[in-house]
Amino acid sequence: MTRFRLMYNKDEETEWINDMSAKGYAMTGFCAGFYFFDPCEPGKYEYQVDFSEGFFKVSQDYREFMTEAGVEIVCLWGPWVILRKKASEGAFQLYTDVESTIEHYEKIRRMFKVVALLEAICFIMQIPAVVMEVWAGAGGMLVLGAIFLGIMREIRRINNILMGLYERIGKESDCIGCRGNRRVSMLLPLGLLFNAAAVMVPAASRMSGGAFFDTVMHRVLQILALILILAGIVRTWRAGE
Amino acid sequence: MEKNTPLTESLFYILLSVRKPNHGYGIIQEVEKLTGGRVVLGPGTLYGAIQAMTAKGWIRIYSQETDSRKKKEYVITELGREIFREEKARLGELLANAELMDNY
Repeated sequence: MTRFRLMYNKDEETEWINDMSAKGYAMTGFCAGFYFFDPCEPGKYEYQVDFSEGFFKVSQDYREFMTEAGVEIVCLWGPWVILRKKASEGAFQLYTDVESTIEHYEKIRRMFKVVALLEAICFIMQIPAVVMEVWAGAGGMLVLGAIFLGIMREIRRINNILMGLYERIGKESDCIGCRGNRRVSMLLPLGLLFNAAAVMVPAASRMSGGAFFDTVMHRVLQILALILILAGIVRTWRAGE
Repeated sequence: MEKNTPLTESLFYILLSVRKPNHGYGIIQEVEKLTGGRVVLGPGTLYGAIQAMTAKGWIRIYSQETDSRKKKEYVITELGREIFREEKARLGELLANAELMDNY
């Protein structure tokens, strides 16, 4: 059986895979959003998702270590490692103290921040293509904008988790964390999305020919985008004070 | 110099469990036994701790593939013992001072 899902939230993903296992579907592979399942005895496996330093690979050390602990590496995707253990061998939790859980989420947050930055750069690089009315460029911008929104939400979620964890060991979030906790207003990415839509309109007008209507649409969208982006910047700024 | 103590509970028990050569799963079992099942180390936590402590020179790889089965064993180093002694002294102080509570 194959299911398609796009998830940023690794905890939600873990929960879902475990639900599937409880229903008698054991995950056996993953590829670009497609999850592959094989029928199994309901609840036979317990799954966990780890974050590795490697990309589509883990060290020999890690592999041996997990195997010895009775943990099977199901598949690797990017920095993610899907692991499972037979439920009959006891509860399966990867991180069992606050310190290592913090480290785990810090690594994930760092990765998302880098991805968000790359994404922003790609977004800007799409602009010339869109100006020249290349359709793919405009579509790309929309997709990038949507992904960016998802990543920002996930970073915020992890910020909250980390804040709670640092509190438990009596520490304030470290200073990099503090700055990370400045909430980026949702208006900002929304404005970027509107902006992308606005740039798409001229490209669409060439295809349809309704020039006047499209010009109006283009202006309205652009103004809306501008307002949203400005409001977003102001709100983000204030949230940090 | 970086301050090494207080040790986290996990690091304390992992160091204790490699006073003699021990392998990954063995460490998990020993810590579970020592704490009466209170501390069960997750493989992610233990793997990270072993990597970090090996890098700091607190523990080292003792054997690899000496017997037929491939099991990597770890053992504490002199530096690791020193860290542990420091921690023991600190905990001793805590415990001694804790007596004050009952003596009043």
